[in-house]
Amino acid sequence: MKRLATALTAILVLAFLVSPAFAGKIEDIKKRGTLVAGVKDSQPPFGYVDEKTNQIVGFEIDIMKFLADKLGVKLDVKAVTSSTRIPMLTQGEVDIVAATMTHKKDREGQIDFSITYFMTGQRLLVKKGGPIKSVKDLASKKIGSVKGSTSEQNAKKAEPTATIVSFETYPEAFLALKQGKVEAVTTDEAILVGLKYSDEKPEAWDIVGDYISPEPYGFGLIENDSKFRDFVNVSLMEMWESGEYKKVYDKWFGKDTKNYIPLTWTMELWP
Amino acid sequence: MAYQFDWELVVSGQYGDWIVDGLITTLQISGISIGLALVLGTLACIMRLSKLKPLEWIAWTYIEFFRNTPLLVQIFFWYFGSYTVLPDSVNAWLNTVNQEFACGVIALTFYTGAFIAEDLRSGIFAIPKTQLEASRACGLSFMQAMGYVILPQAFRIIIPPLISQFLNLIKNSSLVMTIGVADLTYMARQIEAHTFHGLEAFTVATLIYLSISLVVSFSIQQYNMRVLRAAR
Repeated sequence: MKRLATALTAILVLAFLVSPAFAGKIEDIKKRGTLVAGVKDSQPPFGYVDEKTNQIVGFEIDIMKFLADKLGVKLDVKAVTSSTRIPMLTQGEVDIVAATMTHKKDREGQIDFSITYFMTGQRLLVKKGGPIKSVKDLASKKIGSVKGSTSEQNAKKAEPTATIVSFETYPEAFLALKQGKVEAVTTDEAILVGLKYSDEKPEAWDIVGDYISPEPYGFGLIENDSKFRDFVNVSLMEMWESGEYKKVYDKWFGKDTKNYIPLTWTMELWP
Repeated sequence: MAYQFDWELVVSGQYGDWIVDGLITTLQISGISIGLALVLGTLACIMRLSKLKPLEWIAWTYIEFFRNTPLLVQIFFWYFGSYTVLPDSVNAWLNTVNQEFACGVIALTFYTGAFIAEDLRSGIFAIPKTQLEASRACGLSFMQAMGYVILPQAFRIIIPPLISQFLNLIKNSSLVMTIGVADLTYMARQIEAHTFHGLEAFTVATLIYLSISLVVSFSIQQYNMRVLRAAR
């Protein structure tokens, strides 16, 4: 017993010793020469692997590139999933997480968020010409969603009699919709657009209804490093004011792309 | 920057309710599946031992197929794959009921049933062949000999491996969350998504699984020691 206690103490002491002394992220990044960003690799057009170059590209990667350029360092992207993004950030394996993450109050306990860099809302993907026109038409019907997203509770709130069936990935939820197992798939509009156009016949599907809930995306940042958070926030505002943001937005969501979503919101700009 | 633990969040309020809901679903799906798997396993075992060749082949195919393919694949097969072979009218009806739960039960039952059939078969082989011969000589039919003489003894022998199968099933039941059954693991994932406090949610879920398994294991052992030993 005594030996076990000694061993445990030794492990704990060791664990404290190896945890890095807390210096500012900006100094760390500049010293290292790279900004390490955790991004999605299968969420077009936010972050996905380009078939031709085998590189991760996308809207979020372009914004990360802007931040890296401003710091005068190289950008290094690491693919994260919904379950690895927070541990990787808190353990310092990535400096910042840009992974279609909705900024929620309940999520504030573990990490900090940047200001909103992308604004979308939760809507419904349904069969075109079907009976579903809004969330109210889904009373006592089944709605498909994806685990790890915040969509489930929102849909439940909007239509309490509906049953929500959550799947592992969006393609599975879409397959359930095609097989009639669910009447609609619900999540952020920006993701639904990508899902719709991943189908062979995109015209068979429709995105309907008002926004069930607003989904402001924020970058995930480590807690209590206000210097780095300020840098990210101010950079985002500069990007917006200089028109650089619009340029990047149009590249991925503009009229000429298949993911066309009009830019209807305004970034929070501090005076 | 260390991880900030917040246990209060997971064990009380809305998220605490989710854990309880998930626990109930896990107990329901495990309980129903264990009962059905026991019946199916016994049936498959008898079929495999019967002298009728077609029955033996059917049972052999079933056991080998379901024992040697991953459960996750089977779950997807029952949920997504069966759609392509069933008639449209059946599919339309299935879509109106709680298909996710039903498919989960079917998958767990078929998977565990195949293992139980094999365990039971080894238990039956442990009983001297002369007992079956003697029963038949006394005028019992094959089914009667099985039901009155062989199976009661075989079940006693296979209680330890049977407990393992029950425990495996309870743990395997966490896989049904992949088709949207809101079990304990699913709820832990959901809490993680909402609060980013995954460590706490999964620790609580782990402790609950551990408790269920220990309780099941302990009660069957007790039953084995008290009731069955006394009957001997």
